[in-house]
Amino acid sequence: MNKKHFDCIVVGAGPAGSTAALTIARENMSVLLIERGTSPGAKKLFGGLIHRSAVDEIIPGFWERAPVERAIVTDELWLLDQTSAVKIGFTGLNYAKPPYNKFSVIRYKWDKWLADEAVRAGAFLLNNTVVRHLVTEQTGLKAKKFIGVELDNGEQVYANIIILAEGANAALTEEAGLRKPITAKNLSLHTMELYSLPAKKIEERFNVGPNEGAVIGAIGYPFAGAIGKVGIWLQKDTIALTVGALLDQIVTGKLNPYQLIIQTKKHPLINSLLAGCKLLSYGSHTIPKGGYDTLPQLFSNGIMVVGDAAGFISGRRGADLAMLSGMYAGETAAQAHAKGDYSTKVLKAYLNKIQDSFFYKDIKASKESSDYFHNYQDADFLITKTANELAYEFFHVGLENKKEKMKKMKNIALSIQPVLKTSEDLYQGVQHWGFF
Amino acid sequence: MEDLARVLKHVDIKVATDSHIYLKDPDICKDCAEKPCTLFCPTGVFYWDKHLNITYEHCIECGACPFGCPFNNIIWTYPPGGYGVEYHS
Repeated sequence: MNKKHFDCIVVGAGPAGSTAALTIARENMSVLLIERGTSPGAKKLFGGLIHRSAVDEIIPGFWERAPVERAIVTDELWLLDQTSAVKIGFTGLNYAKPPYNKFSVIRYKWDKWLADEAVRAGAFLLNNTVVRHLVTEQTGLKAKKFIGVELDNGEQVYANIIILAEGANAALTEEAGLRKPITAKNLSLHTMELYSLPAKKIEERFNVGPNEGAVIGAIGYPFAGAIGKVGIWLQKDTIALTVGALLDQIVTGKLNPYQLIIQTKKHPLINSLLAGCKLLSYGSHTIPKGGYDTLPQLFSNGIMVVGDAAGFISGRRGADLAMLSGMYAGETAAQAHAKGDYSTKVLKAYLNKIQDSFFYKDIKASKESSDYFHNYQDADFLITKTANELAYEFFHVGLENKKEKMKKMKNIALSIQPVLKTSEDLYQGVQHWGFF
Repeated sequence: MEDLARVLKHVDIKVATDSHIYLKDPDICKDCAEKPCTLFCPTGVFYWDKHLNITYEHCIECGACPFGCPFNNIIWTYPPGGYGVEYHS
């Protein structure tokens, strides 16, 4: 590479990094966007949901040009037991029309498109390149500032501001001293299989129209002793099945991610959704789940952290929050550039923007749910089991009178655990569903 | 894990010459009773046969192993730029 100095270097061309680069390039600053894959998104099978409202702020009317797959109109939560499911769901056909609600996307298409937007705005994209280290300069006895990055060929490139958009592993964020080491307790591990099925068959099977999609989240089966989550969502002519749980619970529960996928596929209600599908691909990734307590320091002299590396996950939202954080960091970089001051004095504006955001407040508020699910590892399993046994009884047409039936249902709840704990679990389960 | 081998045929991995996964101290694995890495890795990169074997060629880069190892004995780095797992249409 000929150019050795940029106004800004962004590490990682995922949703956060490319949005930061796009925002900076729009301000006519020079920005280098570094991607370790052969192209942006090439490493990603996951992260298939884009929420419209947040992304619309960054690229108004993006759905007209972006590679979106289906507009999600149906959202379901299944409490899954061995032979049954209690289903909670909503279908809103207004979500199939502008301005829409959320879209399924395929990351290697979406990420590539977003990085191309940044390049069209003037960013310089460098693929096939891993950033191994950060370059610093002493500015005082104890103070230092970040001035560049070291690439895997040993070359150093410099910038006034470095933006770390490196994803959940966040090795450089740790090297920079901005976060504590990650532990298995604050990381979840998800595994996914991607299948192909003709669009028409998908629409018949999931009862959606052309270009409309559905998302199903399921808890309970096949997990016991781990708070796990199954996800199914639809692209144009592909279906994704994901299974995930907190890493520490996978480790102590001696669970094997691939076996969890196999077991999930065996469930009759899931099996019928996937009948006749052809396996296309297999992937796995980690998501930061530490919540508020594990958020890193978001900036220092000449450096900011965005996206998954910063732990910006709230419920099932990640990619759009990553993009918003990338935009805030990009705007802050532009302010610093205008003032010619890249120190914490100006970069703290990034923290202010984050603290004002809705998702920061959500992440803060979900702190207790994180504790709850760590304390009650069997919560999902018990909630699901109770709900299904009650439902079986509720819908069962028998010969007993109503009073007897109510008594029977009460006994089911009591037999699983004391009734107070059950209702508390159900309440907490619904309250904290967003935590997933 | 016959099935996993079948699944891995659907994943494109450009394998680098050198492993991007290694151990801080192989002796620690000998004393590790559970060897959870041989279970929690989604592609079975780790297996025990007299010592801990690392088939880095199967790694799909979820990045869980350094954090899942109870002894923090696994060092996982990114494969060289352009190498490793790749998804495309």
